[in-house]
Amino acid sequence: MSARSIPADAPGASWLRSAFTRNRLLELLPFILLTIVLILLALFVPNFFNSRNIINIFVQASTLGLMAIGMTAVMISGGIDLSIPSVMALSAIVGAMNLRDGGSVLGSSLLMLLVGSLAGCINGFAVAYLKMIPFVVTLAMMTIATGTSIWITNSVSVPVVSEELFSLVLDRTLGIPRPIIIMAAMALIATLLIRRSVFGRWLYAVGINVKAARVSRIPATRVVFGAYVVSGFFAGLTAIILSARLGAASANMGNDGVVLDIVSSAVVGGVSIYGGVGGPLGAVLGAIFITVISNSMNMMQVSFFTSLMIKGVVIIAFVFFDSLKKR
Amino acid sequence: MVNPYLTMQGITKRFPGVTALQDVSFQAYPGEAMALIGANGAGKSTLMNVLGGVIRADSGEIQIDGARVEIDSPLSATANGIAFVHQEMAMLPTMTVAENLHISQFPTRGGLINTSETDRRSAEVLRRMGCQFTPDTRVQFLSTGDRQMVEIARALLTHPRIVIFDEPTSSLTSREKARLFEVIRSLKTEGVTIIYITHFLDEVFQICERATVLRGGETVGSGMLKDLTPNAIVQMMIGDIGIEVHRKRETAATAEPILGVSSLSRKGALRDVSFTLHKGEVLGLWGLLGSGRTEVARAVIGLDPIDSGQVEVRTDGAGMRPIKPGQAQRWIGMITEDRRSEGLLLSMSVKNNMSLANLRGLANRWLLVRGDEETRQAQEFVDRLNIIISSLRQPVGTLSGGNQQKVVVGRWLQVSPPIIIMDEPTRGLDVGAKAEIRNIILELAEAGKGVLVISSELEEMMALCHRYLVMNRGQIVRELPGTASRNELMAAAAGVDFMEDR
Amino acid sequence: MLPVRSSSESSWARTRQFLLSHGFEIVLVLVVLFYTVSAPRFLTATNIIGLLHAAAPLMAIAAGLTLVVMMGKLDISVGSTAFLTTSVGTLLMVRQGVDPLLTLLIVLALGALIGALNGFIVVVLRINPLITTLGTMIGLRGIGLELTKSTNISLPEDVRRLGNATIGPIFVDILIALAIMAIIHLIHRRTAFGRQIMAIGNDADTAARLGVRVPRVTFLAFVLCGLLAAIGGVLTVVQVGAVSGSIGSGLEFTAVSVIVIGGISLFGGEGSILPGALRGVLMLEIIRNGLNHLGADPYAYRFVNGAIIFIAMYADSLRAQVPVETHAFESEEVSAQPRTQSP
Repeated sequence: MSARSIPADAPGASWLRSAFTRNRLLELLPFILLTIVLILLALFVPNFFNSRNIINIFVQASTLGLMAIGMTAVMISGGIDLSIPSVMALSAIVGAMNLRDGGSVLGSSLLMLLVGSLAGCINGFAVAYLKMIPFVVTLAMMTIATGTSIWITNSVSVPVVSEELFSLVLDRTLGIPRPIIIMAAMALIATLLIRRSVFGRWLYAVGINVKAARVSRIPATRVVFGAYVVSGFFAGLTAIILSARLGAASANMGNDGVVLDIVSSAVVGGVSIYGGVGGPLGAVLGAIFITVISNSMNMMQVSFFTSLMIKGVVIIAFVFFDSLKKR
Repeated sequence: MVNPYLTMQGITKRFPGVTALQDVSFQAYPGEAMALIGANGAGKSTLMNVLGGVIRADSGEIQIDGARVEIDSPLSATANGIAFVHQEMAMLPTMTVAENLHISQFPTRGGLINTSETDRRSAEVLRRMGCQFTPDTRVQFLSTGDRQMVEIARALLTHPRIVIFDEPTSSLTSREKARLFEVIRSLKTEGVTIIYITHFLDEVFQICERATVLRGGETVGSGMLKDLTPNAIVQMMIGDIGIEVHRKRETAATAEPILGVSSLSRKGALRDVSFTLHKGEVLGLWGLLGSGRTEVARAVIGLDPIDSGQVEVRTDGAGMRPIKPGQAQRWIGMITEDRRSEGLLLSMSVKNNMSLANLRGLANRWLLVRGDEETRQAQEFVDRLNIIISSLRQPVGTLSGGNQQKVVVGRWLQVSPPIIIMDEPTRGLDVGAKAEIRNIILELAEAGKGVLVISSELEEMMALCHRYLVMNRGQIVRELPGTASRNELMAAAAGVDFMEDR
Repeated sequence: MLPVRSSSESSWARTRQFLLSHGFEIVLVLVVLFYTVSAPRFLTATNIIGLLHAAAPLMAIAAGLTLVVMMGKLDISVGSTAFLTTSVGTLLMVRQGVDPLLTLLIVLALGALIGALNGFIVVVLRINPLITTLGTMIGLRGIGLELTKSTNISLPEDVRRLGNATIGPIFVDILIALAIMAIIHLIHRRTAFGRQIMAIGNDADTAARLGVRVPRVTFLAFVLCGLLAAIGGVLTVVQVGAVSGSIGSGLEFTAVSVIVIGGISLFGGEGSILPGALRGVLMLEIIRNGLNHLGADPYAYRFVNGAIIFIAMYADSLRAQVPVETHAFESEEVSAQPRTQSP
């Protein structure tokens, strides 16, 4: 009625404009912080910038980064996937068992990707088609996947012994370990796809405003489903690398701490928990940042536990900045 | 002559750029119902929000029972015996009626809620209103009408002396309406002053003694209803601007159907809606807020589910063909009434917003969006629609309302569906932008598209439409030709049979 | 005109409605029957008391978390809260020789303080509760592990004995846990605070419009949740006799499962402590206990847990789809029929 006829658009535009520049500043924040941390490390941790340590950090970050890419797809759609690490562990175990029972390296790797994607399909179906809450769906999936992992292994880790797999996944190309190359390649491909592909653009639209997306004839249900499948696929991909790196697969690969690291990576990398904001590249940088914190704390003889504490503070601080963007 | 219980005098309220109320005077009498009538945007809600303490007037004074009062908050309105029954209900569905009534002020005993007292008070007020349900009924099991009763009961709990009803019947069945009127009558016999805001003139004559008509933020008439006719009131609502602007071009509409809707029904929203849209026609869906206009559009396009009914469209050369709800968007573009929450992705760029519905069309065979083509098309429609932007990368949230709306229009022009539905296409735009959007609509029709327009502005409908469908309570109640007069349209929407005064 | 529903259709609808609203009881009876038949020692007084004993800590924690969930929010820091508060308590007694009773008070105060921290971050800084408590969950566990150096620390002997204290045949902690559930139930059902929690769970904006002080109620609910997490921690640690790094680990997920199984909607505004949260705890514990009696692979427990959550959640979403709302413009014929009243 009368209140509606008052033009709501005219004021506030200038406010919005200033918010956008402030947003840009907030988006740069992770890089600024990373730089500060790196400078501090250079000053106080003598061996930090040792090339071996740097490579070590990147290798460690690669698996976290890959899982963070999967999480990014889901978070852009406005959801969350707590089941990534447990699904990753389950995929690794199934693949490792196949390998142990004489399966080929290629077959086992494909099996890992398949198991991951399948779990993603189940999550996606429950969230997109059955309209269940992402948090609970993936929580249940997490419990089921971990349960299955423990069950089929009797809590014993399955050794992964295959020179073929090791050389395929762990060798160096141009002096750089393959996990790093895979992470970088995936980050670039994922960034290209999410920015340029039809699916990627739909994903952002759904995450920003699902109602507007539906009106603009975007198949929102299928898009959300797809996001969870992508996340499951990356869990499977991570399983291949991590099982080769550890030389074993066990339920413990996907302990609860890992899911927190993934969420932290994404959030620190500028992916919004509210959907529609951020990208895979940021999430990978976030993963590196988180790994740097763990690693440097380790080198500074700060206990693992204190580093947990610091991570907790970092997450809340970053989400606080994120919520500032939204205001 | 009875003295007015409530007097509002010289009330003026300005919002940035708009004068919502200009020196309005208003009186209401004890034991009587005063109708407050006016078209959309006439200032009814603003005036009542001043009385309810929701907003403060810039000037003017309020007297209750002869004494001047200051009302600066909803709380002080309550303290002065004023209760407001809002059109928009505030219900807590999973909680009981008694809890809904008392949620902010439970009677307690020893720190715990005194449930017997809560139930007693609730039962008392429900009995007073003749409600059949008990205080321990969960609100989610109540019909809309009964919920409305709960809303009213909440207002009556404080034993007010003035009760404001804002469009209380817009969602009630006639049976429920009859019960509401019983309540109002019994309140009147208790000497309560009733202020009744509505669009429906028939109700005004049924339940009210007096009426005040607002137009454009000013009082244009006031008096006893027994001295007034519905036609006279409609005249007051519209004013004397007799010149009817017909911008329509006679040639545009053809007889070739492009969209057929038959017996569309959805429980609680739509009843048996059937119509046909022709090629090159601008068809107006006219009715009051809440009459089901928007619901028709959303049902046709498949955004809301339907219980029964069918939608047919003319597919390329193949004649009319029934389609499934999920498919409708292939042929029908929709511009929703709320562009900020259902139209645009505010944080995204102009370019990306304009290509949103057309991404599949812009993709190469690898399903990657062709960036150069996206830019080219966006630029083409930015130029064609004269959208003022600093760059195609500018976030759409920073644009003015008119330019935002043009972005939404541009989005559909890119796809160019044969049928376009526009819900309030010019709401909140300035005069220039309004005219531009209207021109676009007429051009679309001339280009052979079928356009279904929904608007609350009579002027706009009259400038655009070749034909009108008048809606009331989820039904199409009448069809009027493009030549229908302002008075006919107004009266049809208000549920009155209008006869020209000759 | 709306199509008239045939009577067979409506009787099916009624059956479906019955199954959905009593599904839990049906499943519980079937499960108990199955166990009783296949494991003779399952339905014995000793086993049932043992079962309740094992479930006691979870009851306290679930009661607190339920309050937060009924607001439509979540607190996944409860496990870490239980761990940190009891670690501090144990250290105070063992290292500083603080009196057990005073320690208990300190532990409870610390729990409330942690709840207040969560509440502050959610209400004042307006950060998503899930992320907030995710952060505190990691952070608090870190502090706890740091303090205890991740080692097992035994409780003093006289405190440890309390863990198996009984009145008659019944363990004291069962009584404590049930009393806590009863008190929280009373708070939820019979205080303005409890009702306003439900109002916020229905819709925070509507609640605010009706005069509910949303920030205050939200804050208090988090405080209470932290307090009860500390109590749950105390019950666990006293039972175990020592504090260790695994105390409360994974507990947040178990507690959320309990809540989902207990029929408490994660959207808020729906559910109860009694019987809701209690039956969730019992269901989980009965299944675990029964599997144990059957000699099932203990590694299958988690799998079964996950499956139960899924089923409970699916049933919940089905219940939510049953339309109970009636709307505007219904035809007169329909509205003339007798209206469904609440049971």
